[in-house]
Amino acid sequence: MSIEFDPLAGQRPAPIQLNFSKPFWDGAKDKKLMLQYCPKSGKYQFYPRPVSVYSGSRDLEWREASGKGRIYSFSLSYKAPPPFKDVKPYVVASVELEEGVRILTNIINCDPKALKIDMPVRLAWVLAGNTNYPVFEPA
Amino acid sequence: MKNRDIAIIGYSETKIEFRSGRSVYDLAGEAMAGALAHAGIEKSEIDGMAVSSSFADAGNPFYGPILSGYLGLELNWCQVTDLGGASATGNIARAAAAIKAGLCETVVVIASDPQSSENKQSIGAFRGEFQYPMGIMGPPGYFALISQRYDHQYGLDSRALGKLAVTQRNHALMNDLACEKLRKPITVEDYLASPMISDPIRMLDCVMVCDGASAFIVTTTERAKKMGAKKMVHPIGYGERVNYLETNPTPDITEGGHRAAGKRAFERAGMKPSDIKMFQPYDDFLIAIVMQLEHLGFCETGRGCQFVNERDMTYKGDLPLNTGGGQISAGQAGLAGGAHNLSEALRQLFGEAGARQVKDHSNAIVTGIGWIPYGRNWGSSTALILEAA
Repeated sequence: MSIEFDPLAGQRPAPIQLNFSKPFWDGAKDKKLMLQYCPKSGKYQFYPRPVSVYSGSRDLEWREASGKGRIYSFSLSYKAPPPFKDVKPYVVASVELEEGVRILTNIINCDPKALKIDMPVRLAWVLAGNTNYPVFEPA
Repeated sequence: MKNRDIAIIGYSETKIEFRSGRSVYDLAGEAMAGALAHAGIEKSEIDGMAVSSSFADAGNPFYGPILSGYLGLELNWCQVTDLGGASATGNIARAAAAIKAGLCETVVVIASDPQSSENKQSIGAFRGEFQYPMGIMGPPGYFALISQRYDHQYGLDSRALGKLAVTQRNHALMNDLACEKLRKPITVEDYLASPMISDPIRMLDCVMVCDGASAFIVTTTERAKKMGAKKMVHPIGYGERVNYLETNPTPDITEGGHRAAGKRAFERAGMKPSDIKMFQPYDDFLIAIVMQLEHLGFCETGRGCQFVNERDMTYKGDLPLNTGGGQISAGQAGLAGGAHNLSEALRQLFGEAGARQVKDHSNAIVTGIGWIPYGRNWGSSTALILEAA
């Protein structure tokens, strides 16, 4: 079995965007994966927050991620929550980015049997509603 | 707590049912009436209430006051706790703290949730933005990521998980309050053959959402004696941790907050894991039991499955586990599910567990787990050590 480009295509709900995430979604329009960076601690954070989780400071920058990462953990899912219906098995994963944060995502264009923890993956984009949404594929 | 100045003098649990059609208020009323009768006190003694939030009436911003009105309570202290499955154990500690602070004298702790009949949850935040679009299958999906990682780091023994499933199911067969749909014998082979939901999480790893409620009466030991309480149980140690390794962006997701909560509970009780006679942990997934054994210090990290294989965790065994069946085999009454294991611990400590009574029922540890943060281990962890008077 191999997983096609996007097994959840056409069913993904549009992300409900919070105001302080705007640079993330503006970046997604240009297929750029934007991450919050805390200059005080020198660390990235994901998902977007109203403050630095490290220092509590509002002083946060947005920087583009390389799009390279490794699989931290994954699961072949046979069922999906609403609003998804009658999906084929799909891969859910926690991907650790080069920048030192993890993102929950899907692995597409892959043979699920060949997936392994620590496997290198690279950024790809699918549509959630009409919004570009980040997923990953084997590098 | 350690000086045994707080007492639980009554408890009650309703039958756990699937799609009962009953309201959250009806179940809460049955649980409170049962707890008052069990404690042998009048409703007028109650001047404080701590209640777990519910899926059934989520979205009601006045849940506590409205519930207390339905129950005919006039309160000096009213609290709704939203630590998910950690709320019931958390509310025993909150009740004790409120009583010791002089805010009130006798508290009814309530957990009621007919989630299988009614579910009004609407959790926005990061879920709407970064979870729903990628389609993770809720808690089974999260526990699949945790299990896969655990297997990678330590090896996950499916047969040990199967042994836990069978042990708890056999306990549910002896528990008349357990959900009838679940009261069928199973074997380790049944567990191994149960369908994958989110590989490696199988159907029989998971709880089934049901309806149910529990209530507990908490007061000072002094007042309990004045009210003529014949039996009582003392909470002697409690620990709570909301968020764990939160400022580590790449934490080990096989680690969890019971490391911190358990340490505090044991320190406060002046006890160690080997002193514990009964293990009544929150069980939304079987692997959560294995991980709590490790995090609470019953065994070394990565040795949870070996511990399960080596020990007899039946009600007759050397560390009885979830003797009411646990939520996995008795049914999970939504956000009130965390009160099921607490009710069973009290039933055992009061010596009222009938055919499944644990012989040495002098103490127990009860835990709570609440909600799952983004890509991490569970977010709320509680540990409560109880001792029979």
